[in-house]
Amino acid sequence: MAAVPQPDFREIDRQVMRTLEWPGWKYWLWVAALFLIVVWGAACWTRQIYEGLGVTGLRQPNMWAVYITNFVFWVGIAHSGTLISAILFLFRSRWRTAVYRLAETMTAFAVITAGLFPLIHLGRVWFFYWLLPYPNQRWLQPDFRSPLVWDAFAVSTYLTVSILFLFMGLIPDVATARDESAGWRKVFYSIVSLGWQGSEEQWRHFAGVYLLLAGLATPLVISVHSVVSWDFAMAQLPGWHSTIFAPYFVAGAIFSGCALVLTLIIPIRRMLELEELITPWHIDNLARIVLFTSLIVTYSYACESFMVWYAKDPFETATFQMRYFGHYGYLFWIMVFCNCVVPLTIFSPRVRRNLKALWVVSIFVNIGMWLERFVIIAGSLATNFVPSQWGFFVPSVTEISITAASFAWFLMLFSLFTRFLPIVSMTELKEGLRWLRQALRKESAEAA
Amino acid sequence: MPPEVSRRSFLKLAAATGAAALAGCKPAARHLIPYVIPDENVIPGVPSFYATSCNECPAGCGVVARVREGRVIKLEGNPADPIGAGALCARGQAALQGLYHPDRLQRPHLRGADGLINPIGWEDAMARFAKALAQAAAEGADRIAFIGPPMGPAYEMIVNDWLGAFNSRMRLAYRALDDAPGRAAMQFCFGTEFKPLYHIDRARVLLALGADFLETWESPVELARQFAAFRNPTKEDGKTRFGLAWYVGPRMSLTAARCDQWFACRPRWEAAVALAMLRVIIDQGLARPGAGVDPDAMRKFAAAYDVGAIATKSGVSAAAIERMAREFARADGALAIAGTDDDAAHVAAWMLNAATGNLGKTVSFTQPPHVQPSGVQRDAMLEAMRAGSIKVAVIAEANPQFSMPAQTRFAQALSKVPTVVWCGTVPDETAALAHLLLPADHWLEAWGDSAPRPGVSGLRQPTMTRVVYSRALGDILLDAARAAAPREHLPRYEDAQQAVRASWAERFNGAGATANFDDFWDQSLRQGGRFTPPPVAEARLAPGVFVHPLALPEVPPAPALTLVAYPHIFWYDGRGADKPWLQEIPEPVNQIVWDSWAEIHPDTARRLELAENDVVRLSSAAGAIEVPVHITPGVHRDAIAVPLGQGHTSYGRYARDRGVNPWRVLPPDRLTAPVAAGRTGMRRELISPLFSPDMRDRPIVETMSLEDFQKGIEPKPWEEPYPEPYETYPPVNYPVHQWGMTIDLNACTGCSACVAACYAENNVPFVGKELVAQGRIMSWIRIERYIPQTTDAPALLMMPMLCQQCSHAPCEPVCPVFAAVHSNEGLNLQVYNRCIGTRYCENNCPYKVRRFNWYKPQWPPPLDLQLNPDVTVRGAGVMEKCTFCVQRIRAAEVQAKLEDRAVRDGDIVPACAQACPARAISFGDMKDKGSAMMKRRADHQVRTYQALKPLNTLPAITYLRQVYRPREEV
Repeated sequence: MAAVPQPDFREIDRQVMRTLEWPGWKYWLWVAALFLIVVWGAACWTRQIYEGLGVTGLRQPNMWAVYITNFVFWVGIAHSGTLISAILFLFRSRWRTAVYRLAETMTAFAVITAGLFPLIHLGRVWFFYWLLPYPNQRWLQPDFRSPLVWDAFAVSTYLTVSILFLFMGLIPDVATARDESAGWRKVFYSIVSLGWQGSEEQWRHFAGVYLLLAGLATPLVISVHSVVSWDFAMAQLPGWHSTIFAPYFVAGAIFSGCALVLTLIIPIRRMLELEELITPWHIDNLARIVLFTSLIVTYSYACESFMVWYAKDPFETATFQMRYFGHYGYLFWIMVFCNCVVPLTIFSPRVRRNLKALWVVSIFVNIGMWLERFVIIAGSLATNFVPSQWGFFVPSVTEISITAASFAWFLMLFSLFTRFLPIVSMTELKEGLRWLRQALRKESAEAA
Repeated sequence: MPPEVSRRSFLKLAAATGAAALAGCKPAARHLIPYVIPDENVIPGVPSFYATSCNECPAGCGVVARVREGRVIKLEGNPADPIGAGALCARGQAALQGLYHPDRLQRPHLRGADGLINPIGWEDAMARFAKALAQAAAEGADRIAFIGPPMGPAYEMIVNDWLGAFNSRMRLAYRALDDAPGRAAMQFCFGTEFKPLYHIDRARVLLALGADFLETWESPVELARQFAAFRNPTKEDGKTRFGLAWYVGPRMSLTAARCDQWFACRPRWEAAVALAMLRVIIDQGLARPGAGVDPDAMRKFAAAYDVGAIATKSGVSAAAIERMAREFARADGALAIAGTDDDAAHVAAWMLNAATGNLGKTVSFTQPPHVQPSGVQRDAMLEAMRAGSIKVAVIAEANPQFSMPAQTRFAQALSKVPTVVWCGTVPDETAALAHLLLPADHWLEAWGDSAPRPGVSGLRQPTMTRVVYSRALGDILLDAARAAAPREHLPRYEDAQQAVRASWAERFNGAGATANFDDFWDQSLRQGGRFTPPPVAEARLAPGVFVHPLALPEVPPAPALTLVAYPHIFWYDGRGADKPWLQEIPEPVNQIVWDSWAEIHPDTARRLELAENDVVRLSSAAGAIEVPVHITPGVHRDAIAVPLGQGHTSYGRYARDRGVNPWRVLPPDRLTAPVAAGRTGMRRELISPLFSPDMRDRPIVETMSLEDFQKGIEPKPWEEPYPEPYETYPPVNYPVHQWGMTIDLNACTGCSACVAACYAENNVPFVGKELVAQGRIMSWIRIERYIPQTTDAPALLMMPMLCQQCSHAPCEPVCPVFAAVHSNEGLNLQVYNRCIGTRYCENNCPYKVRRFNWYKPQWPPPLDLQLNPDVTVRGAGVMEKCTFCVQRIRAAEVQAKLEDRAVRDGDIVPACAQACPARAISFGDMKDKGSAMMKRRADHQVRTYQALKPLNTLPAITYLRQVYRPREEV
C-alpha cells in the first residue's frame, strides 16, 4: 500500500512554487505555436477591417453567426470561474480551494476573449466607443433600450470584477512567490503583491475585501449571462424571443464553463505535477456540477420545445421544425447528443473517477455548447418571418481563422499565467488543509 | 392625374434653346462646376429637367431627364406623354447605365491588319469613312448600305437623304424583335397596315394569345396602366366590375401570371385555340359580327375547326375553350391580342374581335405612321452583301450579328463587304466584325425624334454634354456626305439638330402649329413633343379573310420538344444585357439573375433525367446551346423556354460571356424551333436572391377571392387578434405629417420598374452574380414572389417589399447608437454616419428589408456620374434601407416653406411610386384623410391589410389585397 501523501504547508508551497520555475522548450514551442495562430487571426481581422465584413460568410439574413456565437460561448465559459470562486466561497464549499484559481484565471481570460468579439463583428469597429456613454459636445448617448448597450455594461463590469477578484486572491500567493524568488521575478512579484507582509491587519482587510468582492461577483454570475441572453430574447425573432432564455443561458454558461475547467485542469494537473493538490475528489465535484447543469440545460431544451408546441405560434413552430429537421438540423442533434446524452455518463462513478473519460466528456460538452449558441443564433436568423428571405450561413476562412485564433489567444494567455503566477491558491489550500488531507486519504483507500 | 402634371412647372426650367449650348465635342466635365463663370442653366443644387423620349424599345415613352450639375442622374416618365403618362419601366430607367457605361467606345477605332482595333482621331476616322464612301459611290448605285432600326421621322429623313446623296437605296430597317407576323396579319385582315390602339381598360374580358403586354409586347407601360384599370375591382350599383383575363401560351410569363388563368398551350397552337373559340361562338349563336363581316363565310370558315381535336392537341381543354368563348362573346367589350411569331394567331385574334363586334370598341385603328422606313428586306440586303455589290455598310444602333438567327449567316455576308462602319455606344458582336468603329451619341446626348404612333411625336434633345468623345449619328453621316458626296445631292440641313427641326417644320408648319414656328418648337421641346388625339381610322375586315381556312401546325410525335424563346422583360432583344441593374434585378417570375436558364416542366425534366441547375444541351437544325435548367410547372410539357438577350460574346463587361443566345438555334423569323434536349453532365447554379417560393401561409402577400370581395367579406384574420396590446412606451406623436404608402397588389404587375427606379434614385449599388449568390443583394425594394400550391389563389403572389416605416419599428430600439431612429414624420431614419454596423436592426426586422454594406460599393467610372448628389453614398460597414425617398420629402418641404405654404398632397412622389406603370403605389400623409393615398385606402377598405400584422409593428404601408378568381387545374 502506497504511503498516503500528507502535504503540509511547506509541501504545498513547494509544489506550487515548482510550477513557477523557468519552463522548458516544449512549453515555449507550445506558446509560440499559439502566438502564430493569434497573429494569423489578427491578420485576418485586419483584412476584414480593411475590406469590409464581406470577407466573412455573413449574409442576408444571417447578420450574426460565428462571431456572436463565439462571444456568447466565451462569456459563458467565464461564468464557472466566478461561480466557483464567489458563490462556492460564500457557501463555504470545501473542494473549491484547489480549483478556484484556475477557474478564475479562465474566467478573466475568457471575458477578455469574449470582449473581442463584439468588436470583431462590428461593421465599423473604429467607432466602437460609441457604445459607451462618454461626454461629448453633441450630447449623443447610447440608446439604453438596446440590449447591446446592456451588454457593453455587463461585460465590462464583469471583466472589471473578475480581474479584481483574481488579483485580490493572488496577492498573498504572489507574496510567497516573491519571498522565494530572485532576479526580475522578485521585482515582478514585489509589484504584484502590493507590499503584502502577511500581518494580521492585512489578513483582516484581505478577508473583508475578498468577501465583499465575492458578494459583488455573485449577482454578476446570474446577471451577465442573463443580459447576454437578452440580446436574443429581446428581439422578436422566432427562436430568440423567449422568456426562458435568461435562466437557460445561465445554466448553459455554468455548464460549459465547468466543462472547460475540466478540460483544462485534467491535463494541467498532470503537466505541472499537482496531483497531490488537485485530487480526483475535486474533479469529481466539478463533474457533478457539469452533470447538474446538463440536466438543467436538457430541461430547458424540453421546456422551450414544449412552450412552442403549447403556444402554437405558427412562426415559432416553423422555426423549431427547421431547427430539428431543417438545414441545420444535424447540428441540433449533435448538440443534443453532446449536451444532454454524453454528460449522463457522469452519473456513473466510474466515469467520474476516470479522468480520461471525464476529459472526453468535457470536450463533448464544449462542442455541444458552442453548437447550441450557433443553432440558436444562425439557425433562428436563417428561418425568419419571410420565407423568401431565408438563407443559410456558411463560415468563411476568415471566421474559422478568427475563431481558432480566439482559442489560441485564450490558451496562450492561460499558458503564460500558469507558469508565471501560481495557478493553485496556496493560501486557500493551507486554510483547507484538513479537507485536502481527508480527500487524499479517501483517495488512497479507494485506490487500495 | 393632376398631381403629376404639376411637374410641368419644373419642365419650364428646361430652357430648350439652352440645350443647344450643350452641343460640343468634349466629354462631360468630371470636375466641379465653377462658380465664377457658371455654365448656363446650371445652378448648383438645383436640378433642371429636360424632356426627351425613350429609345430603349419601340414603345417610345416620353421621358424627363433630371439633370444635376450638368449630369443626368435620373429618368422619369413624362406626364405630358400619353403613352407612358409619367411612368417609366425598368428598361427606361436603366438607360442611364447605357449612357454612363464604362465600356462605351471612347473614341473612333480602326481595325488593323492584325484584327485588333486601335484608337484613331475623329479627323482620321471621318477621312477614311468619306474616302470609302466616295470610292463606293463612284462604283455605281446601291453600293452603300445602312442597317439600323426604324429611327423616327427625322432620322429616317437623314438616312434616306444620306443614302440618296450616294445614290443608294440599300436601307435595312432592322429590328431584332420585329412584329412582322402582326403586320402581316394586319395586312391580311384589313388590307392596310393600320396601327392598332388597344384599350384594355374599355374591355371586360381579355384574351392574350402569347402577348406579354406587361413585359415586352407593344407598349408595356401604357398597357400595364390600362390593365391596372381593367383589373381594378369596383362596385357600381351593387354590381362588381373586375376584368376577366386569360392567357393562352406555352409558358407562364409575368403577364400570364397576372391574368386570371394561364392555359398552357402547345407552342404555336394559340391560333387553334382562338379559332376553336370562334367556332363555339358561332355554333352557340353568340356572334355579333361588326360591319364588313360576312356571317355565312365566317360560319363556313369556323366549321373547319373541331373543338375536341384542338383541345386534345393544344392542351387547352374543350370545357375551357367553351367557357372562354361564351364569356368572350357575352362580354360588354372584349379584346383578343396575339403576340406570337405565328401570323395565324394574330389573324385569329382579329377574327375573334371582329366576330364579337369589338373592332373600334376595345381596339381602334389609326393610319400607319407618318414615315415608314423604306428600303429593302433582310434577305435582299444579305444577298446584295454576298454578291459583293455592297462596298460600304453602316450599321448603327443595331446588333444583327447577335440577333440574326444563325441560318441567315449574317457574318459571312458581312465579311464580303470591304468597309463595315459601326456606329454605336458599347461595342457589341456586330462591332467585332466592323472595320471602322465610330462612337455615336447615346440618345440622351443627341437630337432626334420618335413617332411611336400617330398623334404622338416625341422629341429627343441632348440632356447633357457628352460622356465620351462621341458624335451624333446624324452628324457623322452628314459630315461624311459633305466630304464624299456630290454637292448637288447634299441635304439642305447642316447637322442632325437642324435636320430634326427641319423635319418638324415640314410636318407641323401646316398642321396645327402656331403661326410662329420658333414658339411652337420651344414649346414642343419643353413638353417633350407634340401629343394630339390619334386620328382614328375605320377598319373593316377584308372580305377574303374567311375564304381559306388557316392551316394548323402539325403536332410532332410525342417526345419532341419545342424551344420557345421569349424576350426577357429587362434584356429585351439583348440591348438591356449590358446594364448591371437589368442583370441584377431578378426576372419577376423565375427570380433568376445574371444568367440564362431553360424553363422545363417537371414531367419533362423527369423524362430527360434533368435536375435543377443541370446544364441541358438544346440542339436544332441551326446549332446548339447549353443552358442550365430551371424546373417549373409554368411551362407546357412539350416546350422548353429560354429568354432572349443573354449570350453576348462582346457588348461590355456586364453582358459578355453570360448565359446563352437562343438566336443561335432559332430559324429566321421565328421564336420557336423544334429542338432535341440532352444532358451534358454539367451543372451551373442559377442564382436567385429569393429563397423559398412557398409562403407557408404567412400573412405577407394577402389575397381575397372575387366572391368575398363581392360580398364585402374581409378574409378571416390569419391569427386570433391579440387583446389590446399593452404598450410600454407612450404612443409616438406625429405633429405635422405622418408619411405613408398604399400599394395596390391588384394593380402591381411585378414588373420591377420600382426596383430599377430605386436603384437609380438612391445610389443603391449593384453587386454582381457572386455576391447575389452570397445573399448580399443591396436592393431596397424587392418583389416578393411566392408560388401558391393551390388553385384557390392567383398563379403567383407578388408584392413590392420595402421598408414598412413602422410606428413600432423593431429595428429602432435595438440599435445601441441611435443610428436607427424614428422621425416625427413617421419615418424610420437610418443615420449612416452614426451606424457602427452591429446589424442588430436587420436581425430584428421582420420584413428583412435592411441591407448591409459588406464591402465598399463600387461604380466603375463613369457609372459614378449617375449618382444622385442628394443621397449619401454609403461606405462599407453600415446598414441602409428604404427612406421613402427622404430627399424628395425634404425638397418638397423646403419648396413649400419657400413658397410659404403647407406641403400639398402630391408634392412628394417617391421614386418607386413615380416609376410604377400601373400606378400601384401611392404616397401621402396619413394624417391628411383627404390625401389621394388615404382615399385609396378608404375606397378599398375591404382590401386593406398590413404585412405581418400580428407582429404589431404598425407599418406605414398599407397594402390592398389582390382579388383573384379561383383558377382551374392546368
